[in-house]
Amino acid sequence: MNYRPYLLLAELTYACPLHCPYCSNPIEYPGGRELSTAEWRRVLEEASQMGVLHVGFSGGEPLRRADLAELVAAACAAGLYTNLITSAVGLQSQRAAQLRQAGLDSIQISFQSDQETLANQIAGTSAHAIKLRAAKIVRDLGFPLTVNVVLHRGNIGRIAQIISLAEDLGAERIELANAQYYGWAFQNRAALLPTRSQIAQATEVVGAQKERLLGQMEILFVTPDYYSERPKPCMNGWGSRFLTVNPGGDVLPCPTASSIKGMRFENVRTHPLEWIWNQSESFNRFRGTEWMPSPCCECPMREIDFGGCRCQAALITGDANATDPACALSPYRETLTSFVDSIQQRPETIPSFAADIGRLLFRQSPIRTERPK
Amino acid sequence: MISMDPQSRPMLARGVRIRNDPITGEPVLLFPEGVLPLDATAHDIISRCSGESTVESIVQSLAEEYEIGIDTVRGDVCECLVQLRDRMLIAIAQ
Repeated sequence: MNYRPYLLLAELTYACPLHCPYCSNPIEYPGGRELSTAEWRRVLEEASQMGVLHVGFSGGEPLRRADLAELVAAACAAGLYTNLITSAVGLQSQRAAQLRQAGLDSIQISFQSDQETLANQIAGTSAHAIKLRAAKIVRDLGFPLTVNVVLHRGNIGRIAQIISLAEDLGAERIELANAQYYGWAFQNRAALLPTRSQIAQATEVVGAQKERLLGQMEILFVTPDYYSERPKPCMNGWGSRFLTVNPGGDVLPCPTASSIKGMRFENVRTHPLEWIWNQSESFNRFRGTEWMPSPCCECPMREIDFGGCRCQAALITGDANATDPACALSPYRETLTSFVDSIQQRPETIPSFAADIGRLLFRQSPIRTERPK
Repeated sequence: MISMDPQSRPMLARGVRIRNDPITGEPVLLFPEGVLPLDATAHDIISRCSGESTVESIVQSLAEEYEIGIDTVRGDVCECLVQLRDRMLIAIAQ
């Protein structure tokens, strides 16, 4: 197995105007200053020299960084493909044109639903109309557009209408990504996890819509691993193809890895990116198969799913080395199964999401965002 | 699956680029959500997708270059293009 980074996720800030209760950002924000423009420029150059070909600018909301266009231009100069992953709040015509000018290749906009009221309820703010306007600006400027919708019990029933929205917006692709239950989403999972029948219905709708939109719009649909027998091949293997640099400069093998208690990650302020990728303990910790416990170490799937997700193993079992509890062979699978069973009786229509809202923990931005000097 | 019209003119879809991977020296396709390393055949096909050549002329040019039967080449080219089009990596010039 060769370990070679292709994609960098550059999380520029944790600040975000949205409060989605399924946010994958950490619940406890690590302290420290955000990386400065000069520090990000160095990270982008180092990434390119290591073989990274593609960078996603994300957050939080990357548009909150006034130097975003400058960083896009730096990434382009380093030969990287640049994708902006945004809520689109703050993406007015002038800003979008500035990003186009800087060389930005593509834009992914998140939507919370096709219906304004529900979308704004989920986002915890009135953002839906802004997103619609921004999507039009993006298309008028000639950017390719990806629509991303995180699915959960409150919106999965509207999957056909959500696909129609993306179609109307002229998107090349739509990512229908079921919430992954870490961080904020884990706190809210009893209200967010779709029921078994919702997943079955959604799968059927997606199948038909994929057929209908073949060659016009790509539909990517990821079902929640709580309902699967096998774990997901998380990040295509730890430290294998992806790296994330978070707002404070910590380098992570996956965007949620900082949730693993007891693990220490290196920082771009103290080490070169290449050293972190090749030499650091954190990046080598779950490479290969040596670290695997039973049943992973004797499993014929061990080099296909890599034992699943380390963050989920740590979250559910308390041990980051354990087999991902989404796997039917995990001794902890029963804890997920009994949770899944416990939510099947809950009401699953949209009004119930509104009823659930009082129980949801909405994502908060860091109270004090330290700006680089 | 819809097959490819032999008279259609395929081109790289919006936001899709080919570049050489500086590490391997091999061509890769870059697109909004990722990177796709290309094998030699896929590269030969995609690099002919200019929006000007028809599918049929791409098939003919490859059959001459590879010196193999045109029907075999046509099958391979159409299969490759359909897969790329389904992933929105190739578009049809209007």
